[in-house]
Amino acid sequence: MKIDQKLKEKIVKNINLTMDKNSDYVDVRYLSSDNSESIMLYNGNLEANDTTFESGIGVRVLYKGAWGFAATSNLDAIETCFSQSFDNAKTASKLVNVPLKMNKKPSHKSKFISPILIDPFEVPLKEKLDFLISLDDKLKEEWILQRVISANFQKKHTYFFSSEGTEVERKLFNVFASINIMALDDEGQMQSRTHDLFTTGKGTRGWEMLIEPDLFSGNIDKIKSELSELTKAPSLEYAKRSVILLPSQAWLQVHETIGHPLELDRILGYELSYAGGSFVDLDSFGKLQYGSKKLNVSAFGGIENSPGSFGFDDEGSPERNYMLIKDGLLVNALTSRAMISEANQKAGKEIFKESGGAARATAFYRAPIDRMTNVNIQPGNDGTLEDIIANTEDGIIVDFPNSWSIGSNREHFHFGCEIAWEVKKGKVTRVLKNPTYQGHTVEFYNSLSAVGDESTWHVGQVNNCGKGEPNQVMQLGHGVPVVKFDNVITGERK
Amino acid sequence: MIDNTTKNIILKVRDIAEERNIVASFSLHYENSHLMRIGNNSVSLSTSEELTRMDIEVTNGLRQGSHTQMGEIRSVEQVIESLEIAYEKALVAKEKDYKPIEDEVEEIFVENSQNDNKFNDLTPDFKAESYSKIFNSVGNNYNFSGSWSSGTTEQFIVTTKNKNSAYLVGTDQIFTIVLKHPVKSWEITATQTGWKKSDFDLDYVIKELKMYVDYYENYPATQIDIKDYTVVLGPQAIAEVIQMAIFTGFWGRTYEEKQAWTSKNSIGDKVLGENITISDDPLNDLTFKSCFDFSGQKRVKRNIVEDGKFVSLMYDSTTAAKFKREKTGHDTSSFSITVNTGSDVECPIDAVKDMEEVLYIPALHYINLPSVSKGIFTGSSRFNALLVRKGKVVGPIYSSRITDTFQNVFGNVAKISKLAKSVNLSNTYGRRAPVAFSVPNYMVCEGVKITDCAESF
Repeated sequence: MKIDQKLKEKIVKNINLTMDKNSDYVDVRYLSSDNSESIMLYNGNLEANDTTFESGIGVRVLYKGAWGFAATSNLDAIETCFSQSFDNAKTASKLVNVPLKMNKKPSHKSKFISPILIDPFEVPLKEKLDFLISLDDKLKEEWILQRVISANFQKKHTYFFSSEGTEVERKLFNVFASINIMALDDEGQMQSRTHDLFTTGKGTRGWEMLIEPDLFSGNIDKIKSELSELTKAPSLEYAKRSVILLPSQAWLQVHETIGHPLELDRILGYELSYAGGSFVDLDSFGKLQYGSKKLNVSAFGGIENSPGSFGFDDEGSPERNYMLIKDGLLVNALTSRAMISEANQKAGKEIFKESGGAARATAFYRAPIDRMTNVNIQPGNDGTLEDIIANTEDGIIVDFPNSWSIGSNREHFHFGCEIAWEVKKGKVTRVLKNPTYQGHTVEFYNSLSAVGDESTWHVGQVNNCGKGEPNQVMQLGHGVPVVKFDNVITGERK
Repeated sequence: MIDNTTKNIILKVRDIAEERNIVASFSLHYENSHLMRIGNNSVSLSTSEELTRMDIEVTNGLRQGSHTQMGEIRSVEQVIESLEIAYEKALVAKEKDYKPIEDEVEEIFVENSQNDNKFNDLTPDFKAESYSKIFNSVGNNYNFSGSWSSGTTEQFIVTTKNKNSAYLVGTDQIFTIVLKHPVKSWEITATQTGWKKSDFDLDYVIKELKMYVDYYENYPATQIDIKDYTVVLGPQAIAEVIQMAIFTGFWGRTYEEKQAWTSKNSIGDKVLGENITISDDPLNDLTFKSCFDFSGQKRVKRNIVEDGKFVSLMYDSTTAAKFKREKTGHDTSSFSITVNTGSDVECPIDAVKDMEEVLYIPALHYINLPSVSKGIFTGSSRFNALLVRKGKVVGPIYSSRITDTFQNVFGNVAKISKLAKSVNLSNTYGRRAPVAFSVPNYMVCEGVKITDCAESF
């Protein structure tokens, strides 16, 4: 759907009028459609069969170093929305200690469309249901007490305009899906195994991704077999040992203890009243040995097939590919234009050269904030999972998070997982239930002793990263290999 | 706002649906929200949102479909278009193996008991000035951040089951400020909440911040040993842990599906300490009240735990239908969970003057559940957390983790404050849906497991 010419003229006219009131900068996001569909089969019953359609406009004004924002779903009220946003900025400007700046950028006219073959919204509901029901049929066993299959489809069509003259049209598609089964163990505790739809980083991200067996349905027998073993398994005992994270666990470890602490707005203190701060400060870049030499972490918005790939962020900046941590050394952060300007000003030097293209907003009625794009651990040289197991004396392999609790400055963490496999003298010996591990972030990453090769790497899809006030739920990705850490506290103290 | 024209459009479409024998429910949600965010002693964002959402659910025998549309309600045709989307979905849907309970507004409801007409005075200017006064009073040398969300919510529900309607209008606010030392990096906070403009008390905020500044500036911080402690939980910590305990222990579905930490128990069993009584009380003014739920059922006070005994479960329509139980008015996000107060003094520090060593942890950051079946939760201290010996503050503690069970923490409560506090637990992930719990100002819990302590705040 192309933007109505009269609407576009109205937006541009109002941007100019707002700039005429001595505004520093103005941008507008018009979402002509922001559609999502959720389907959930719970023990075969269709418990979610929902669609949500949203559309509207969000206006952001920078006035004397302060942001104002306003949004409306009423396109007849665009002028009011601009006035409200300007008034909000004007009020905010009365209490400014560190004026925010948007350093000038050349304008551009650009377009981005997520690569897809089949638009999931064009697939008839019956076809979607038939597919998911066929998967549910494969899950049925008397001993499996709960079966949950869910799928979520998203389609966002955004038009971005700024007072610099930049115009971006963006059409994003996302497909998320999950299979979860539960059974009681021999002590009457519920055990669970889950498989989430993932990507290899390649290919397209329409309906075709969901029906690709390797990415989704082909894992059903595996999780059934693992759940069966869990129901008879002993609990993990408290001890220090090596921990091998499979990618379905490693992505969350990266998300919580590398991604969030490296969001520049958190580092600068803008999230303190909600999500928390960061143990990283402006002095850490180029100095903090975040992890062992084996740790190489990138922010790569351009992975072909990931929810963290979006072409241009909500300030019109193009997605970028750059290193956050190189050979264990912290070198960069996840950044937006205003935040790098403030950080460089505070540090008295240029730490950040250009925006990392990480200013993102979840909906037209939310203002952009610094978010993760794709934050990835680069594949290493320690071979396959089997190679890493063979080189482990005493450890556990863990998979899939069922609990995560992180310190407010991301300095420490506690994770619970669905399943663990004990490793003794290079061999997997048995399944263990109720695995947990905890640690302190910098100490933990400095104990990174093995990073799997390309064969172990995949992209975990994240549909529900929460941050900001008012809160925003964002979609992103993490490309991660198998990783091994040593001397980790595992299990719970009696 | 949801004016009469809008309501009449919805009522007209409700009648059209009824004529076509479509079983449907219509729910309109309107919010007018403002949020000011503070960072680095400045207003970092001032944002206004005026949004209307319409939810339509259609039940076609054993099949259901639903659709949500955001935008102003302008015409009958526009609403019919959304109804058709939900109707088509309900036609194609897979049949359930139980009969869904059709939504029905039980009587004509009007809930306006928490709607403050002075809320319009809670302007961005007023908020900015209040923050400025706090910075100047407590000290501009500190780094302040925070947020202040306020707004009006309206909801209008009708169904094809009858001609009744349910309408709610209410105001709510949550104010937060965080003070961080620019060099030592410690953080303290103050929050205020309520439905009236006057629920914000500037002088109290300043007094509270100054008290903690004194503790943090003048007493050394401690990295505590990993062991069991007597822990005084403050209101935010109590509310957040109780929230987790309620939804994993007393939620009908979790219990029926044997996922709950109470699943091995029966109604009447003692699961928490004898001094713990918990109810859902929609008449409690320290919570955000709603006299009806989304399905149109009247909400009434319901005890969940009485003197430590588990006495009832909360059932939404889906769970009630599935397990053939009575629904209990819990198709809602507006829970009014109330934890009974005790008879002990109001102030937590006074309460522990005879105790050798206790930790005061008023809030827990990022709580999660490593084992729902066992009732294990984990979370870490953050703001305003103190080591106290014989009623004297020794100093702040570094970020410390509790990993323990609901049964142990709320099974060994030695003292409970007689003062009740309102704790705002609103989740702003989507639409404005204010939620507050009413809890004691503190609980002194014995033998709580501290499982980690960082070397920093």
